[in-house]
Amino acid sequence: MTRSRIPQAAGLFLVLFFTIFPFVYTANDYPYIMHTLTACFFYAILASSWSMLSGYAGQFSFGHMGFTGVGAYTAALFSHYFYLSPVPTEFCTEFAIGDQYLVIVDAIGVTSSTLTQDCLRKALAVWDGSVQITPMPVWLGIILGTLMGGVFGLLIGLLVLPLRAAYLALFTLGFSEILRATISAEIAITRGQAGIELPYLFDSGITLFGRHFDKTDKLPPYFVMFFLLLTCLAIMFWLTKSKFGLFVRALREDQDAAAALGVNTTRYKVLVFVLTSMMAAAAGAVMAHYIRIITPNNLMILQMSLVVAMAVIGGVENVVAAAIGAILINFVLELLRNSFEIGPFVVDMTIWRLVVFGVLLMVTLRFFRNGLIAPVIEYFQRGHVAAETVAKRTEAAENAGGSA
Amino acid sequence: MIELVVHNLNKRFGGLHALKDVNFEINGPELIGLIGPNGAGKTTLTNVLDGAIKPNSGTVYLNGKRIDQLPPYEVARAGLGRTFQVTRSFRRMSVLENLYVPAFALSRGHSRAEIEEKALDVLEFLTLHHLRNEYAQALSGGQQKLLELGRLLMLDPEAIILDEPFAGVHPQLMKVIYSYIERVNDSGTAIILISHQMDSIFTLCRRLLVLNYGDLIADGVPDEVKRDPAVIEAYLGVDEEEEGNGQRSGGQP
Repeated sequence: MTRSRIPQAAGLFLVLFFTIFPFVYTANDYPYIMHTLTACFFYAILASSWSMLSGYAGQFSFGHMGFTGVGAYTAALFSHYFYLSPVPTEFCTEFAIGDQYLVIVDAIGVTSSTLTQDCLRKALAVWDGSVQITPMPVWLGIILGTLMGGVFGLLIGLLVLPLRAAYLALFTLGFSEILRATISAEIAITRGQAGIELPYLFDSGITLFGRHFDKTDKLPPYFVMFFLLLTCLAIMFWLTKSKFGLFVRALREDQDAAAALGVNTTRYKVLVFVLTSMMAAAAGAVMAHYIRIITPNNLMILQMSLVVAMAVIGGVENVVAAAIGAILINFVLELLRNSFEIGPFVVDMTIWRLVVFGVLLMVTLRFFRNGLIAPVIEYFQRGHVAAETVAKRTEAAENAGGSA
Repeated sequence: MIELVVHNLNKRFGGLHALKDVNFEINGPELIGLIGPNGAGKTTLTNVLDGAIKPNSGTVYLNGKRIDQLPPYEVARAGLGRTFQVTRSFRRMSVLENLYVPAFALSRGHSRAEIEEKALDVLEFLTLHHLRNEYAQALSGGQQKLLELGRLLMLDPEAIILDEPFAGVHPQLMKVIYSYIERVNDSGTAIILISHQMDSIFTLCRRLLVLNYGDLIADGVPDEVKRDPAVIEAYLGVDEEEEGNGQRSGGQP
């Protein structure tokens, strides 16, 4: 049926559009628009993976931003504390790896005056430029962040096994807040509220399509985030079509019935936590390297609500709808920043835009339970079902009539 | 040939002794009625057999394999399926997908095409074929009962426990469900039927188990059980209203 192909065609069009866009758009606000779209993709990863966990598998979690933080802070701490050196520093904790030394810098707190206590700086002062140390590769930090997200996802997944609905939401909210509080409190390691800085995604720039891009250029991170989004969506899309998708939906519908029918509910509940946590963590790690500073406030519950709202407006049971919802909402929220005047009144849209957003959320929840975008996709994909049922019933009735 | 051996099964909830030294055996594809007043322990027995709750003591063997400590999904894979007192279809999944869940969970080397074919056969058998792509929530209450039976059939079970399959079902559809139960039984599956509909029980079953406050007070052919004074006193003599409480694990006082 051709009509059911329309969502696929639309999806392909969107992918092409976002692929071509950076090359054809030339207006003055190019960096701003590119930055906004990169943030859109970031939120799209979070909203879609959250919808996989909460809408698709029915594990309503408020901890998703926490996993983002796990990824971001793992990448940040890794790049901050680990270096490779060809000779031992004699000051730092260090291990020989092949012909190199893995140097672990001391935790030295927040103020610049303490920087002189930094063991690596002491060593560098002694060497006086004769030795080149190498920072850890950014991609390795991102991979570690992703894996760490998976480890945390596994732990949380195992801990919440017996919990349902509101209890699960509260538990994951607790996890997220504990993480935020710990990061805020451990100033000596994480620099607390001051935030921890990260190197550029591509610290020495990158050459793509025969063109060199500077480390501050917006195009490379745009595509990194975009491809991460596509990868996550592809994995989730494939999962929804597989046994995994079937089982986690059964889990959502009725955990006990699924277990009674032979589904290892424990395994799939934990798996879905691990997978979606890894996606959130990967997005967090990439985003942290892109904006180059991460603070515990990035994990705040307000951010989490934003992600939830994006997924809800898109359609919480459809990962692609949630992703599109996130891109739309984040983009519109940015556009709405422009304040305007109505006669003598100045409408400060930096504040009012959130009101618009809130109203949209309430209207969606009240009148469009499955979001604004998911029903459209469903219309095209399942539109033929009712007609088919009627046709089959008629056919059956006619057959019965004929044989009687 | 199925062999289910239940030996000295005990289950306590706090001060309540829900199952007291329950012993019985099933040999071959029998069709057994499990009856008793509300609170007799029928659903508790089902939950213990299915692995949803663990007994305090006693053992259950299915074809020589001990299953009383296994989680429900392994009990299901071992060949014991059950339905729930309150229908528990996967409401926002299509009828076909409802059947795919147990088939893929089991997946003993069957290909997708084989599973699909089998699911369509089962739907044909249950006359739900025309609804195969509808969400289960679109089905009527009676059709959902059939769908639950269909899901069990996808497990290729050795034995199934049907918990109140006639509750809220129109007498006409009830007759239809009778025929399905008999046909499933004829194909070699042992069935334990829990029901308060005495007509159904006496029509279908060739053996009855009677539970009363956790005691298995009778086990025999319907005609004998019907005349058993203990059973008459505990159950048959009393005109019970049909129950509708769908407690699962641990919640039953």
